[in-house]
Amino acid sequence: MNLSINSQLVAADIEGSTTLLELLRETLGLTGTKRACDIGECGACTVLVDGRPVYACLTLAHACAGQAVRTIEGLGAPGAPDALQDAFVAEDAAQCGFCTPGQLMAATALLAENADPSDADVVAALSGNLCRCGTYPKIVRAVRRAAATLRTQTHG
Amino acid sequence: MADPPKSKGTKGRFITTTVEVEGRTEQRVVELPAFEPEPWGADAQLTHVGARAIRIDGPLKTTGRPGYTTDVRRPNQAYASIVRATLPRGRITLLDLGAARTLLGVLDVIVAADVPSRTRLFNPEITYTGQPIAAVCATTQAIADAAARLVRVTVDALPFAVTVEQALELGPVRARLENNLVGGAPLIVERGNVDAALARAEVTVTREVRTPCALHSAMEPHCAVAEWDGDHLTVWESTQGIYRVRDNVAKALGIPLTNVRVICQAMGGGFGAKNLAGPHTYIAAIFAQRLGRAVACVVDRAGEQLDTGNRPSSWQRITLAATRAGQLTAIDLEARIPIGVGGAEGGPGNIYHELYACPNVRTRETSAFVNTAAMAAFRAPGHAEGSVGLEIALNALALELGIDPLALRLKNIATRDQKKDRPYTGNRLDECYEEGARRIGWHEREASKGAALRAASAQAGGARGQHLKRGYGVAAQVWSTGGGPPCYCNIRFNIDGTADVMAGSQDLGTGTRTILAQVAAEALGHSLDGVRAVIGDTASAPYAGNSWGSMTVASLAPAVRMAAEDARRSLLEAAAGLLSVSPNDLETRNGRVMMRDTDRSLSFAEVTGKLGNVMIQGQGSRGPNPQDAGIVTTGAQFAEVEVDTETGVVRVLRIVAVHDAGRIVNPTLAESQLEGGIIQGLGFALFEERRLDARLGLPLNVGLHDYKMPTHADIPVIDGHFLDGADPTANHVGVRGIAEPAIIPTAPAIAGAVADALGVEVNELPLTPWRVLGALRGNPR
Repeated sequence: MNLSINSQLVAADIEGSTTLLELLRETLGLTGTKRACDIGECGACTVLVDGRPVYACLTLAHACAGQAVRTIEGLGAPGAPDALQDAFVAEDAAQCGFCTPGQLMAATALLAENADPSDADVVAALSGNLCRCGTYPKIVRAVRRAAATLRTQTHG
Repeated sequence: MADPPKSKGTKGRFITTTVEVEGRTEQRVVELPAFEPEPWGADAQLTHVGARAIRIDGPLKTTGRPGYTTDVRRPNQAYASIVRATLPRGRITLLDLGAARTLLGVLDVIVAADVPSRTRLFNPEITYTGQPIAAVCATTQAIADAAARLVRVTVDALPFAVTVEQALELGPVRARLENNLVGGAPLIVERGNVDAALARAEVTVTREVRTPCALHSAMEPHCAVAEWDGDHLTVWESTQGIYRVRDNVAKALGIPLTNVRVICQAMGGGFGAKNLAGPHTYIAAIFAQRLGRAVACVVDRAGEQLDTGNRPSSWQRITLAATRAGQLTAIDLEARIPIGVGGAEGGPGNIYHELYACPNVRTRETSAFVNTAAMAAFRAPGHAEGSVGLEIALNALALELGIDPLALRLKNIATRDQKKDRPYTGNRLDECYEEGARRIGWHEREASKGAALRAASAQAGGARGQHLKRGYGVAAQVWSTGGGPPCYCNIRFNIDGTADVMAGSQDLGTGTRTILAQVAAEALGHSLDGVRAVIGDTASAPYAGNSWGSMTVASLAPAVRMAAEDARRSLLEAAAGLLSVSPNDLETRNGRVMMRDTDRSLSFAEVTGKLGNVMIQGQGSRGPNPQDAGIVTTGAQFAEVEVDTETGVVRVLRIVAVHDAGRIVNPTLAESQLEGGIIQGLGFALFEERRLDARLGLPLNVGLHDYKMPTHADIPVIDGHFLDGADPTANHVGVRGIAEPAIIPTAPAIAGAVADALGVEVNELPLTPWRVLGALRGNPR
């Protein structure tokens, strides 16, 4: 099967039962996407498929054939973060950091649709992403901060 | 060979001292530091310490690559899966491994006969649901999991107990027990004479309170990756204590301590459940040895929720006695705690002896072994559940006396450490109450309730809105946060002028690396980015203790500061030689050695560059705490809630938290932990409860969907605040701990607010809609 992962064409020879999460973490070694529950209860494995946030643990890899998958590795790198990653660091929106990639991907999807989300919009978009450290207030602040930064860049 | 004599009167640099961990007291031999820096008092002029520095590993965490154990991929790595018991008690009569062994991709299967007895793995006597029975190793996790499901287990079921009441009636719930009471008898601790005080009391109240069994539920499950090189073993472990895991592994496998290296570069949450090596660690190490390849054992989510520790439930009956004027004269607690098959930690009783000034206090805790998974310390073990009972009873007393709940608390502040009859190094709980009351609008709360009701009615158009009741609650906390020895730090300058700060600690998500760097940069006179924290590896850093008991900063920061002062002294001597001046004429600032009263200076890089491979180093150790004073963090939290009396849904609108924790090294990181503790406390108050079927003995909600934790949608406005100041009597950095204090008052503050809103108490947590509605109908259970 063929699919695009972070804008790179990938040809994978995998079984029908392989999940997108297994393809990413085990076959391709993209461990930025986390496995925390493996049954769609926590959101730590959230990635984008054609821009839509999905739980990679509940998504069969073959179902993504011909589609564009985006993971945390497809955002910015440590030296060159994107606006959301930058805002997460600035607002201290990652404590243990294990849920952070999922939060960031869900937030990426939100900002693509809504350039100026309210607190309630952020909460609604990210409520499928659990954080046991309780970083929620700072995550909401970080998403809104990134949105403001991006609006300035667009209009400025 | 006989043991060496116990050194009671050790002399000179090595002395015996008392250290408090998670409410327990331990005697330890400690080394007195070679020198003790002048304490940084409250008015010390500091640059990095106290600054809102950015979390150093933030960029790694926001790109998904900080180095979690679950992400370790060694060459040719194999994967293990654990087979678990599915009933609470029985004896295995048949273990059929045939189908599992023959599945394509399976490499090995191990059972009791294959493991060293000290690992205590795979006991054929099943004593709780979730107990490991066997383990499978395969080339992929998916195959290992599939093979584990193919293991057929035949069990003779045996009578079990999952409640204290059942345990008291049943014979021993597991082998090697005489009865099911922890310690063989109830634990009774009394000061003064409670019976006499109750007999002559002017006013008494009695309440029964229940708190739920709560699960740590860290996002990263327990996991280990093990790899052997000859007879040397490297273990990557998601842990709160790399050195303790090293000790556990060496003992369990019967190999020399120095043959074990433990690494934890990043971990996805612990909250008390990751203080030891576990079955997963030993399983990974045993498979890795048998197969001659690296093996990962990651506990799956069901296993994580079943068998990696919990905060046990509690039943508490509290009687308080007081004068008509509101002075407490007696506190009496009877508690029952089903702790599981093991893992006893502090019970709910401790806080009853500490939080309020009272001459007569008695706690009777009946902790029983039952056929559920062992408990483990969970953020403020004992205090988080004890404070619920104590504060609910205190609110009842306030109502009985007709005194404001805050006023009653202010009358009964414990200004001394009553358990040890000594002063505190510092305790500004009175200021915490005052500041918190101001921020929540405590004294205007009746007016605020009226305004909210009018606004709701107006919005809903008339009579509607009357079902939304608003309430306010307050609760307080005390927790020993002095940290202590032993704890070490080494600092070395690199040739480019940067400094490595090495300590055998770990970062749970609290920001250990950042704190270390800030303290070291301060004491060195370095820039923050000139300092690199090296932690999480027993091979490269000297001993530091577990990150538990809110101890890391209070234990480590003084050792780091001392190492930095030591290194700085050598650096100044070296620079003095280069500049042909006396070291006394030099000072350091922002990575430069400056000559006082001149504009001459050298950068650290210029000094170390000229030194070449002559290495500037510093050594630091943590000295003992003062023995004549208690070191605690105190604080008060206030809750504002809205309860829907039609649906029973409780919505927390606002939490105000004010704590006195000495000097705060990094306010941003401290606020993150404070908010995190409050949110876990909110979960404890409203949602979280491991449900057990008492008839079948089975846990019913072992996933993250049915075990309800707070989500984004449940979060109130949180106003968290630490009092300015420092505690230079506690240690020379002036710091105390903050992690556990954060969770203690949240649930009782919320329970108080709900009772205030309804005019009816709900004395069983979590405050679910059906419990709230039940209480409104006069049937709280």
